[in-house]
Amino acid sequence: MQNQADKQKQMTRRGFLKMMGGIGLAGITASIAGCSTDPAGGKGWMPQQYQVASSWPIQVKGRVPIDPNNPSIVRDDQKCILCGQCVEVCEKVQTVFGYYELPIKDDITCVNCGQCTLWCPTAAITERDDTARVLAALKDKNMHVVVQTAPATRVGLGEEFGMAPGTFVEGKQVAALKKLGFDAVFDTNFSADLTIFEEGTELIRRITGDLKEPLPQFTSCSPGWVKFCEYYYPDLLPHMSSCKSPQQMLGALIKTYYAKEKGIDPEKIFSVSIMPCTAKKFECQRPEMNSAGKHVGKPALRDVDAVLTTRELARLLKSQGIDINNLPDAKYDSLMGESSGAGLIFGATGGVMEAAIRSAYFLITKQDPPAAFLNLTPIRGLKGCKEAAVDIPGVGTLKVAVVHGLSNARPVLEAVRKKEAPWHFIEFMCCPGGCISGGGQPRTSLPPSDTVRQARINSLYNADANIYKERKSYENKEVLALYEKFLENPNSHLAHELLHTEYVDRGKKLTAKKTV
Amino acid sequence: MAKGVLVDLTKCVGCGSCTVACKLWNDLKWDPQNPTVGDKVKLNDKNWTVVGRHEVKDKDGTPVWRFVKQQCFHCKEPACASACFAKAFQKTKEGPVIYYPHLCVGCRYCMVACPFNIPKYQWEKTFPLVTKCQMCSTRVAKGEAPACVSVCPAGVFKYGDREALLKEAKSIVAKDPKYVNHIFGEQEVGGTSWLYLSDIPFEQLGFKTNVTHRPLPSFTEKYMQATPYVAITWGAILTGLYHYTKRRNQIAKENNKNIKA
Repeated sequence: MQNQADKQKQMTRRGFLKMMGGIGLAGITASIAGCSTDPAGGKGWMPQQYQVASSWPIQVKGRVPIDPNNPSIVRDDQKCILCGQCVEVCEKVQTVFGYYELPIKDDITCVNCGQCTLWCPTAAITERDDTARVLAALKDKNMHVVVQTAPATRVGLGEEFGMAPGTFVEGKQVAALKKLGFDAVFDTNFSADLTIFEEGTELIRRITGDLKEPLPQFTSCSPGWVKFCEYYYPDLLPHMSSCKSPQQMLGALIKTYYAKEKGIDPEKIFSVSIMPCTAKKFECQRPEMNSAGKHVGKPALRDVDAVLTTRELARLLKSQGIDINNLPDAKYDSLMGESSGAGLIFGATGGVMEAAIRSAYFLITKQDPPAAFLNLTPIRGLKGCKEAAVDIPGVGTLKVAVVHGLSNARPVLEAVRKKEAPWHFIEFMCCPGGCISGGGQPRTSLPPSDTVRQARINSLYNADANIYKERKSYENKEVLALYEKFLENPNSHLAHELLHTEYVDRGKKLTAKKTV
Repeated sequence: MAKGVLVDLTKCVGCGSCTVACKLWNDLKWDPQNPTVGDKVKLNDKNWTVVGRHEVKDKDGTPVWRFVKQQCFHCKEPACASACFAKAFQKTKEGPVIYYPHLCVGCRYCMVACPFNIPKYQWEKTFPLVTKCQMCSTRVAKGEAPACVSVCPAGVFKYGDREALLKEAKSIVAKDPKYVNHIFGEQEVGGTSWLYLSDIPFEQLGFKTNVTHRPLPSFTEKYMQATPYVAITWGAILTGLYHYTKRRNQIAKENNKNIKA
C-alpha cells in the first residue's frame, strides 16, 4: 500500500509530456470550436479613413461599379481594399462616376478608359486579359496572324522591362512581336497618317460647306472620349468626325486591302492590335466594327479580333521568355508599316491636331507648310486645354483647340453647346496626356505622374524631329499607294465604307446630371 | 437609443463596396462559387452580406436594374434570440442582434426561427458555428457606423437612431412620389433596425413582404409563460403518484408476507 502511494507521486518525463500534450490538444479543440467569449465578427481591419465615430463624411471612399461583362476591365474583389482611388480618378479626373442622376437605368456607366487600372494600388482592377486568345491564334497553323502597334506603346513597353520612362523601343517591339510568331507586323502610325487624309478632307469639306455638318469638328480617335460624348453630349455627335480610329481603319484594311494584295482568305486572318488603351477592347467589339466582313460578304468577321494592352504584351513576352533588352531592332513589314512623325505624335495630347495642321496646309494649298507648322508648341504639353490659330492661305485663320482628360472636355463641350466656341477643330483625348498615359500603359508611377507622362511625350516628339525621315502624313508613300491601288481618294465611297463610322446615342442609358 | 440603418435602394449603383467592407472587417473568406455582387449572389457562412442585381420594370414599364443589399435585418424582437435557449443570440441595447460562439450548442433552432432565412451554418467545418451579420456590433458600441455603411460612395445608407431614421424615411416617401409608399422594416415582424426605401415594389426585389407585423416571439410568449406552472403542476402530480405507488407496493408486500406465512 505504501509502495503504491509512492509510485503515484512520481512524475516521469513521459507522463509530463503526455499531460502537456493533452492540455494542448484540449486548448486547440476549444479554440477551433470558437470558445472565446467575444461576439462573432470584427476580427479584421479597415482602411483608417473608415474608423471614425458615427458616419462622418470622408473624402475618399468606396469603389466604382464595374459590370461583370465589361469588355475592357475586370476587378478581383479579393484584392480590393476600398482605398477609393478608382472613384477618385473616375469622378474627379474623368467626370464619369457621379455625373448621372440616381437611380441608374439599365447600364453601369463606364467609358472603358481604364484610368482606374492605373490608380488602383493593389492591381485589383486590371484589363480583361486576352493573351490566351492571342497565344492560341499564334499556335494555330491555319491562321495568318497580323499585329499592329499603336504610336504610344513604343514609348511605354520598355518601362515594363526596367528601362527609364519614355525609352523609345520601336525596333525592339517589332523584333519581339516577330519572335512571338506574328506573320506580319504593321504600324498603327500608318493608319494615323491615313486618318489625317480622311479627317483633314472632312474638315475642309465642313469648312467649305461641301459637307453639311456643323463646326467645330471633333476628333474621333479616342474610343473613351467617343463613348463619353455618346453618353453625356449625344446632341453634339454631329460634330464628331465620322472617321474611325486608326486601330479600326487598319483592322478593316488588313482583312480587305492586305488580304487582296497577298491573296489571303480574310477568314484565315486573325488581327491583333497592341494598344496603350483599354477602351480599344470595347471599340473593337462595337457591333458596327465589321466593315471588312460586310465588304467581303461575311458580316460575322470582326475588323480587329483581339486587343492587347502594353501591359498584356509585356506579360505575354515574359511568359514566352522574350526579354526586349536583348533584342536587336527590327523593321515593320511593308504595305502598311511605313509612317511619318505626324502619325507617331498621335500618341501625345495635341499630336493629332499638329499632324492635321501639317497636312491641312498641304491639302488646301498643295504646298509644304512653313517650318513653324512642324513645331506647334502652343498645343504641346500637359495643360488641360490648349488652343492655337494658324493662317492657311485660301481658308483664313484656322482656330483649333486641344483637350485631354475628360474633366477638361466638359467646359469646352458646354461652350460648343451654347454656340460660344470659336474653334473650327477640336482634338479630344480621353486620358490625361493622351494615349501615352492610356489605361493600358505600364504602371510606372502610382497614381500616374506628369513626370512620366512628359518623359513619354518628349520621347515621341524627339523621334518625330530626329529619328523619323518623314514628318508629314502626305509624304507617306504607302498611304499614297493605298489610295492609288485601292481607295482611290480620301472620302471616296470605298473609304467611307471601310474607314468611316456612325455613332450611338447613349443618352438614353443615363440621366446626365446638370453640371452648369 | 436603438440605432438603425436607412437604406435607399434607388441610390445603389452596384459597386459592392459594402460587401468588401464586410469581408475586410469580419475577416471572412472569399467564396468563388458564391459571388457577393451580381445575378447569382447567395448569403452563406462566408457572405454575411451580398448585393443582388434585379432586372425589373419601373412604373412606366421601362426595364431597369436595381441592386439590393441583403443582410440580417436585426429585428427589434428577434425570433432567433427567442428560440435560442443557450442565449447565443442576444439583442443589444444599441440595436444589433449578435451571436456569441462560446454559448452556441449548435442546435440551429435560430435558423428555423428566422423568418428571413438569415443565419447560416458552417457546413464545411469540423466544429461548425452559426454565422450572420453582426451589424458590426463592436464598431456600433464605439459609436462607429457598421463597416458596410461607412464605405458606400453613392450615399445609399444613413446610420443613426432608428426612430429618427424612420421619421426621415416617412418624410422622404411623402415628398417624393418616385418611392413606393412602404418602408420595409418599419412594421415587418414588429420592426427591424434596417429600414429600406425603394421605387420598385419590394416583392419584385426579392423581399419577403408577406410576413406578420407582430413580433414573432409574441406568438409563443403566451403559452411559454405557462412553463413554470406546467412544471410545478407536473412535479406535484408525479410526486403524488410516486408516493401513491410506493405505498401501494408496500401494502401489497406486507399482504403477501401474511399469505406466505
